[in-house]
Amino acid sequence: MKNNNRKKQKHYGDVRPKNYRAIYEEKFYDILFQLRYPLMTVIFFTTIGVLALMIINGKSDGTSVLNYFFHTVITFSTVGYTEGYDVDPQHLMMNRFFATIFIIISIPFVYMYGLVTTVNVFINSNIAEIYNYWRMYKAMEQLRGHYIICRFNGITRELMKNLKRRGIKFVLVEPDPSLEQEIKDFGVDFYVIDEPHKRSVLLGVGIEHAKGLVTAFEDNTQDLSVIVTARLIRPDKEHFMVFATATTEGAAEKMKLLGANEVIVPDVSVGRRMTSFILHPPSPVLSGFLEKIAYGERTDIDIMEIRIDSNSDLVGKKLKDIRMRQETGATIVAIIRADGKMKIAPSGETEIKEGDSLIVLGHPKALKRVEEFFESHQIENEEEVART
Amino acid sequence: MINWGKVWSDFFIFLALTSNVGFIFSHDPYQLVIAIGVNLLATVLKFGAKKILAAELLATALVADLHLIPATILYFMETHVPLAIGLAIGAAVANVISIVMLVIEIIFEYQKEEEL
Repeated sequence: MKNNNRKKQKHYGDVRPKNYRAIYEEKFYDILFQLRYPLMTVIFFTTIGVLALMIINGKSDGTSVLNYFFHTVITFSTVGYTEGYDVDPQHLMMNRFFATIFIIISIPFVYMYGLVTTVNVFINSNIAEIYNYWRMYKAMEQLRGHYIICRFNGITRELMKNLKRRGIKFVLVEPDPSLEQEIKDFGVDFYVIDEPHKRSVLLGVGIEHAKGLVTAFEDNTQDLSVIVTARLIRPDKEHFMVFATATTEGAAEKMKLLGANEVIVPDVSVGRRMTSFILHPPSPVLSGFLEKIAYGERTDIDIMEIRIDSNSDLVGKKLKDIRMRQETGATIVAIIRADGKMKIAPSGETEIKEGDSLIVLGHPKALKRVEEFFESHQIENEEEVART
Repeated sequence: MINWGKVWSDFFIFLALTSNVGFIFSHDPYQLVIAIGVNLLATVLKFGAKKILAAELLATALVADLHLIPATILYFMETHVPLAIGLAIGAAVANVISIVMLVIEIIFEYQKEEEL
């Protein structure tokens, strides 16, 4: 078993993550590459111009050389004053002759090609846009504990809206480039236009530091390939969650077997909800109340599940004796026994047994305190505290 | 088959060194103008090259330029000529390093070809 794992990891370690930041760094570099020949032309003709004037006039002192340099630059910039230096009358003819030839040759090369191309490269290369991408991908590399969302559609829009409200970071992976503008307009902080079933892409968006992945393609095969790829990189189901949508229950079952934690079949879910409306006619207050809690739409109330294992010293105690509500402010609304039986609204006399799941309802802050409360009742923890 | 693109770029890298050394020994203003021109050309030629040592080659070329530009200014101002020569020698060292890296790169490339 261990051997198998090692083999898998070795195979999967071979793929290098796609470095999205580097792609845009390279684009910057490509701009420099395009400037190579135009800049070379400018430098070459400047050197030739200065050298020729030094030779013709036979002067190599500092002032003259600076003047020759000045003269060369004003020549091919087409500014064209007369000589930018004092000309010896006996050299005047030679100077003028050289200047004429030099202007005829250098202006097309240096001015038309060299300088115009340089300006053109800067105008046409969208430096600002490249910089924006580069900045986004640089920030994306720093993400830890984020979620990866595959496909931009109605389902993931709703998901991203809610994650944003909660301040949870996510990276969107969308294979269709035509949706990029819509994604930008929607205000997604981090997105990648690429195929999410590629290992290099998933590694590139930081799957190794991510908390989970959501794949919501309209097509089951795409979802399946994403789930399998993600699971091969992160086999641990507890530390890396994979959620998906499927079009049929059969496909959902397969996805679960292949590594998804939960799979939703949109048609079935909607149908069930409709049934519940018919069975329990909606009331203005109650309607959607539990759903809002369960789906995390309300930020002032939340629900969580606490598992009681054999290490807890609460096993065998009555609910009224553990004084959880007084200490934390949250309420136990249900107990699910190890055999799956559910006790709704348990009384104070109810006894806590090993293997129970307690369903606790309360303010998110109260639920934090509940977590700490149950952790402090772990026998192991107490022993450790005593040791230290 | 000769790679003419390589002849072209290597030519300027070697010429940058030789013209620089020429100036160090002759202290001649003409030679200095040639040296700085060729060094600038060699720098620009390295822009955008995607080779193993591209970044290092560009860095050494920039070092040579940053030595030669002040050297040219000082030399033609005729204030600190010995310092100008010293800077040119510094630039020549950078040129030599640049050539050493060029050779290393050639060796790497031959190895790659053999692997293929």
